[in-house]
Amino acid sequence: MTARVWTSAVAFALAFGTASAALAQAPACEPDKLAEKYPGLVGKTVKFGADPQTPPYTMRDGTDFDKIIGADTDLAKAVFDCHGIPYEIFLGGWSGLLPATISGQIDVFWNNLYYTAERAKQVDYVLYMQAGTGALTQAGNPKSIDSIEAMCGATAAAGLGTVEEAALKDQDGKCTAAGKPGVTVMTYPDLAAGIRLVQTGRADIMMSDLALVQSLAIDNPDTYAVAFKILTGFTIGAAVKNGNDELLQAIYDGIVAVQAAGTQKAIFETYKIDPDLVVAAEIRKD
Amino acid sequence: MQTWLRRIATLFGLAFIVALVLTGCGPDAATQNTSTLENLASGGAMTKGGPPPFVVEMWSYFLSPFLWEGAWIAVKITTAAMTIGLLLGLGLALMRLSGLWVVRSSAWFYIWVVRGTPQLLQLVFLFDALPELGIRLSPITTAIIGFALNEAAFSAEIIRGGILSVNRNQSIAADSLGMGKFLTLRRIILPQAMRAILPGVFNDTIGMLKLTSIASIIFVNELTFRAQQIVGQNFRFFTVFIAAGLIYLVMTSAISVLQSWLEKRYDLEADRTRRKGASPLARLTGGFLFAASKPDETGPAAATPKNAAPAQPAIVPRRQLDEAWLKRIATAPDIAAPVGEPFVVARNVQKSYGDREVLSGIDLTVNRGECVVILGPSGSGKSTFLRMINHLEGLDWGEIRVDGLTVGYDYTGGKPRPVSNLAAAKAKARIGMVFQSFNLFGHLTALENVVEAPVRVHGVSAGDAETLAMELLASVGLGNHTQHLPHRLSGGQQQRVAIARALAIKPRLMLFDEPTSALDPELVGEVLTVMRRLAAAGMTMIVVTHEIRFARDVADRVIFMDEGKIVEQGPPEQVIDAPQHERTRRFLRMVEQDVTEGELG
Repeated sequence: MTARVWTSAVAFALAFGTASAALAQAPACEPDKLAEKYPGLVGKTVKFGADPQTPPYTMRDGTDFDKIIGADTDLAKAVFDCHGIPYEIFLGGWSGLLPATISGQIDVFWNNLYYTAERAKQVDYVLYMQAGTGALTQAGNPKSIDSIEAMCGATAAAGLGTVEEAALKDQDGKCTAAGKPGVTVMTYPDLAAGIRLVQTGRADIMMSDLALVQSLAIDNPDTYAVAFKILTGFTIGAAVKNGNDELLQAIYDGIVAVQAAGTQKAIFETYKIDPDLVVAAEIRKD
Repeated sequence: MQTWLRRIATLFGLAFIVALVLTGCGPDAATQNTSTLENLASGGAMTKGGPPPFVVEMWSYFLSPFLWEGAWIAVKITTAAMTIGLLLGLGLALMRLSGLWVVRSSAWFYIWVVRGTPQLLQLVFLFDALPELGIRLSPITTAIIGFALNEAAFSAEIIRGGILSVNRNQSIAADSLGMGKFLTLRRIILPQAMRAILPGVFNDTIGMLKLTSIASIIFVNELTFRAQQIVGQNFRFFTVFIAAGLIYLVMTSAISVLQSWLEKRYDLEADRTRRKGASPLARLTGGFLFAASKPDETGPAAATPKNAAPAQPAIVPRRQLDEAWLKRIATAPDIAAPVGEPFVVARNVQKSYGDREVLSGIDLTVNRGECVVILGPSGSGKSTFLRMINHLEGLDWGEIRVDGLTVGYDYTGGKPRPVSNLAAAKAKARIGMVFQSFNLFGHLTALENVVEAPVRVHGVSAGDAETLAMELLASVGLGNHTQHLPHRLSGGQQQRVAIARALAIKPRLMLFDEPTSALDPELVGEVLTVMRRLAAAGMTMIVVTHEIRFARDVADRVIFMDEGKIVEQGPPEQVIDAPQHERTRRFLRMVEQDVTEGELG
């Protein structure tokens, strides 16, 4: 018996030791080992760019406009803090972020950026969440629209040049082909303008990012509701300029560690984003 | 009193409009979603009976340091970019007016490209393409450079328009006083062009202040972008945008005040005498604050303008010219030629405009102290010849020497070529000129007109120049009009100021180009009197005129020119009373007939 106990104990100890060794190999938050793990990032302040008009990803804090909050911003902060990398947020219009990343004016584009093969030719991604499209409507869904197919005859708003606009135009064609009234598509230049269209009843539906639409409906239950949602299969990631491999690796390692600690889900819950949208960190270069 | 009433009424009107904006929108706001009101940065307390929550909310945004910081960024960018842009724009405008094709067309090309492409793309290019060349600019620097380069292109055209709006005679007059190109531009052209330039430039300023929001694409967080961010966070677009709009209104109003002050500053109609004595605050606000109650009470000088109204016949001064003083000027010690010896010597002077020959070989000698009158029909080349003596027009061939020296010509290559520093050569020659259309500097008072060349060209101290100018103006009978702008003076008075201005450079030779042709008959006398006395004092003078009586009475010699040639010359009693040539006789008959008709009419 004793021998058996001893054997078990040794086996357990061995197993535990191996497991600890394995755990030690996995990315962890070790701010004091920055020089050892990412020597190229020592002494560097990482500039990450974001557009503070994209709630719940990046926005101003309602109680202190000088503070930047949001799911993407909090995640980025968690990742850089994890490695002890100092950072600086660069706030600008969304459409200026990708050119600035490519030209090196900023190091990371971290703001609701969908992965596309076209963009991946110029930047490398670390993917961390799934994207979806949400349809925002007035509280109570007065026209009872529950899917994109049910939109024939409706007026819908979408951001200019977005995948949502394309989907709505596509649906418009399908409606008219089926002999039904088409979809009237209104495009807006900035999100707030789109939301105003729904608020004033000029549009029945606004199609936009799912997390955004959901957080709006949760925050303003008397005004808005989610009519329906579509999982588009797009994934969202942080992007660095091609060839910036050390930073890419640091971001990847950081997200893995933050995900393992449950921090990403906690952040998502703070901003009322469905935690199921979290995907395991993945580097994608092409 | 009336002006004050008007101002107060305007202020009340403005206050009323603002109040309407603030309260009139209230009912609308009540229908809006207020569920996120507690999200407000500095949520206003909603007590019953207090102002409507909408106004409180909007007011809290209006006072938000977050938005005002954005406004300050917009102001910084606009101020820096306008300053740089205007300087570059002035350079471009001058390049556009250059005589060199390459210079002109490169400025045109720059303006064509910058005006023709969207500013947003220019900003993105500066911010994101220059790093490829190793130039990494910060967002604010990029914005300043981007807006400045853009403003340069737009203001270049505004400035060019302003420069072209200034009468060309102004620069000709400056040229005759030996003022160089840049001095003329700075002292004479630009101050007068300002009236045309200012409205356009201030349009651009206000436009730029509002347009700085496009720099959000290169990470500049100014007012509009910040307002959008607040709206992006809480969707209170109505209150936030109205607050931002009011902040813009405050800033653009300040710009408008500056504009109207500057416009008054450069307004030729404005009463300068009133401004001189005004308090700094009155000057800063264009007289809006602390202005003297009645302009007429501000000083003795201001009480006289009514006497100077051009409609009234000018009072010919009874005061005698200071003969001794004039003699001192007329016999400057630095003239090499003795009195009575050749002073102006023209040999085989030729000039053509394209195919048309204007002067075909003029030979003429004027002795020191002599008064020579040139007569001749229009197009005979007499004015052109006169303007060649002080090099306002260039020689094609031949030479003109004044006291043994050419005025700004280099003959080393055989042909006359202008020297590189022409203005200095003209200044050194000290040839005074009086023009048919007076050509007084329109933005300067009589005194300032006279003081300009001695101070700026000849380096005389301001005090000495002013003493001299007062003396001169008193000599021509204008001691009471020293502070008046030219447009407040009659034609005869203006021409006398012009003579004083020419005399202020202590001229060694005076040229008169039809000095009385633009004057009403009753004003001719006062100008001729001055000229007569000047001749009597021993000044060497060449006078182009149609005044036969002046020629007969004053001239030592009369020259008759026709078709670019001297037809005949001699003492007045010979050329005027017994002309040898038929052409001269015909001309004199015509002129005398005109005079008679004029007198009858």
